[in-house]
Amino acid sequence: MERQEIIDGLIEVLKTVRVIDPEKLVGVTEETDFLADMSVPSSQMIAIVAKVEQKFGIEFEDDDIDDLGLTVKDVVDLILKVKARG
Amino acid sequence: MVGYYENGRHIESLCSIHPREILIAYGPKKLLVDQYHWHSPNKGIVASYTPKDYDVEDHFGIFRGVDQIESFVQATAASLSMFLICQKNACAPEDLKEKSVPSFISVGNVNFMGALEKGDTYVMLGKITFYKFKQMVCDGRIYQCPPGLDLDDYFKDFNEERLFKYDLSPDFKLISDLYDITGREIEIEYFRAAKKK
Repeated sequence: MERQEIIDGLIEVLKTVRVIDPEKLVGVTEETDFLADMSVPSSQMIAIVAKVEQKFGIEFEDDDIDDLGLTVKDVVDLILKVKARG
Repeated sequence: MVGYYENGRHIESLCSIHPREILIAYGPKKLLVDQYHWHSPNKGIVASYTPKDYDVEDHFGIFRGVDQIESFVQATAASLSMFLICQKNACAPEDLKEKSVPSFISVGNVNFMGALEKGDTYVMLGKITFYKFKQMVCDGRIYQCPPGLDLDDYFKDFNEERLFKYDLSPDFKLISDLYDITGREIEIEYFRAAKKK
């Protein structure tokens, strides 16, 4: 799975999150920060991660999430890592 | 296995312990939960509290709404998630103290229908609506109890169906309903790193 394909899937997930302004989803790059650039409330991050699991058919561990950073790149890296883990 | 072991004692339900055995107090005196009366680990809880002198000091004898929320968080998200984390990691709450801390991170809508004063015993009925990655979201209600009621006896046959319906006798008075009360077990290392920034 290509990184851009993952970003596109991630944006699809983010479009379903009511608290995110759709305008902030235009021009998302790997450097985009969920808190600083998209103003995602930190309490919503877990709900987003749970939706990401469903979208990509993967399952994260608690430790994966403890160590997760706040940029799109961090999430893309994690998805690839978990997919590789199988 | 349901529950966890602490000093060789099997904690199968929160009802078998005092809240101070699992909760971090808000201050030297403020635990804001007196007792657990019913507990279903993956579904919810019933706990009670009676406001003390220090809870209403400088508030004209009234137990404030914000304290109701704090009390509800302690009774639900904090207690319930700590129990499940101990169960998952096969450890006791004491073992987690150096690693992580239960944190109150968000609150949704709260509606107040009544007030509580010092000495008014109330019950908190909390339902888990989401639990994943150490983050727990609960909805629930607070009811003022009829004076003199034996709460352990009243809730001894309580069940999940009654919890979901908030099925209590009419002499319980609805005080508040609370939505999306969110808590998360956060690694202490995270706080240390944030403090350094």
